[in-house]
Amino acid sequence: MIKFIHVSKIYPANVQALDDVSFFIKAGEFVSLVGQSGSGKTTLVKLLIGEERATKGQIMIGDWDITKLSQSQAPYLRRQAAVIFQDYKLLTKKTLLENVEFALQVCGQPMKKIKSIAPQVMKIVGLEAKMHRYPSEVSGGEKQRTAIARALVYQPKILLADEPTGNLDSINAKEIIDLLLKINSFGTTVLLVTHNREIVNQLKRRVITLHDGRLVSDQAVGKYMI
Amino acid sequence: MFISLARIIKFSLQDIGRNIWLSLVTIVILVLTLFSVNMLLAVRAISSTAVSTIKQKIDMSIYLKPDAPAERISFLQAKIAEIPYVGEVRFVSKEEALANFTKNYQRDAKISEALRELGGVNPLSPSLVVKPKNLNDFNALIQSLQQTKDPIIEAGDFDNHKEIIDKIDAITKKVSDAGLIVSLLFVVVTLLVIYNTARVAIYTHRNEIAIMRLVGASNWFIRGPFLLSSLIYTLIGMVLLVSIFYVFLNLLQPYLETFFASYNFNIINYFSSNFVLIFGAEFVVAALVNLLAAWWAVGRYTKV
Repeated sequence: MIKFIHVSKIYPANVQALDDVSFFIKAGEFVSLVGQSGSGKTTLVKLLIGEERATKGQIMIGDWDITKLSQSQAPYLRRQAAVIFQDYKLLTKKTLLENVEFALQVCGQPMKKIKSIAPQVMKIVGLEAKMHRYPSEVSGGEKQRTAIARALVYQPKILLADEPTGNLDSINAKEIIDLLLKINSFGTTVLLVTHNREIVNQLKRRVITLHDGRLVSDQAVGKYMI
Repeated sequence: MFISLARIIKFSLQDIGRNIWLSLVTIVILVLTLFSVNMLLAVRAISSTAVSTIKQKIDMSIYLKPDAPAERISFLQAKIAEIPYVGEVRFVSKEEALANFTKNYQRDAKISEALRELGGVNPLSPSLVVKPKNLNDFNALIQSLQQTKDPIIEAGDFDNHKEIIDKIDAITKKVSDAGLIVSLLFVVVTLLVIYNTARVAIYTHRNEIAIMRLVGASNWFIRGPFLLSSLIYTLIGMVLLVSIFYVFLNLLQPYLETFFASYNFNIINYFSSNFVLIFGAEFVVAALVNLLAAWWAVGRYTKV
């Protein structure tokens, strides 16, 4: 599904973010990507959504070589490899439901389809009762669930979660992880980027560890090592 | 395709409405800038007409000897008429010259007294009055007349005219050069203002743009509303500009009619007969500048 082949990323001023990273993630896997701040986790996510280009190596999603991604292809990649962030990235002047609808609107979906899909996805993430509230009126966990709902509207093959629990307390964090596991059980490949030791150890799933831009460990049923 | 286009229009109109002050400032700046450019055009048209008016009043006289025979005068008149730059050659007899002179200075007591003292003797010479075919050919005509030799020619007053025409041409050139510099300055100011306005607008939408990219909106869909807003600003700006400028021209015209009393110059007609050329070109240029500014600004601030 996701294939990194000797991937390196060097930013201007010779800052090496990733150094010869290679791994393969099968379709439907749930993988945690761990490492300290500055280890290259976010760069790896940016490479996967076409936000950055690899300096060396090759990145494949299915049969799609995204190292040769054109600007016009990037939007299609982002509908297949959806991403959620620590800061939710919701529009504050729109309700939770409108935030989800917005994702469908900007991609040209017909209004009838939008009105049908958006409430369904809100139900999946457990927000049907609060979907008409504004982001400022709900908790961090609910904001993150809205972000997940927005990411799910295109039924992406991959869900990249970049520190999704970073701003949440342990109860809300657990709810988000449970939701990610639920999404994974539907067949979506999930790549969880985190430095939360407790979550990683409880998951008992595959763990890839980065340190100073290098892949230092890849365990099938791993633990947080660093 | 149709849905995307409809949403681009919707988002663009929403954007204009939700940022109404920013939109108004953008339009007002556009109107003021283009108004200044049109003012320059009006000044240019007025100065050009003024110069033509002055030039048309200038003619050149070739003074002839008082005893020059009629057939020699006719021959010289025909010879001068053959010069390509000559529009008209008219013979003014001694008597006609005196009549004109008396008429022109009838209120001047000293000149009237001096004429009386001459006791009926006509001191003026007959002349050939030459007008150019084209007002821009003055200098070439003067040169040709200076080269025309004939024993019956007493004198010509070309040098004085040459000086005046050269001065007028120099002033016209300076006005034209200054107008060009001011126009270029306005163009640069317009570019900077529009570019900055677009930048501010995009800065206020940076979160929305980031989210649009995040959820997979195409680059065209992100850029579309900004480009359309730019076009709408230009269109509204042009409509306002034309309305305000024509009000201004209507206020100006009575003053110009007084100034160009004997000439049929109408500044409103000038702009109306060149409407498509002037306002059409301004719309196209302003729209292009706006679109390019929006394109660059979105590209720079969103990295799409």
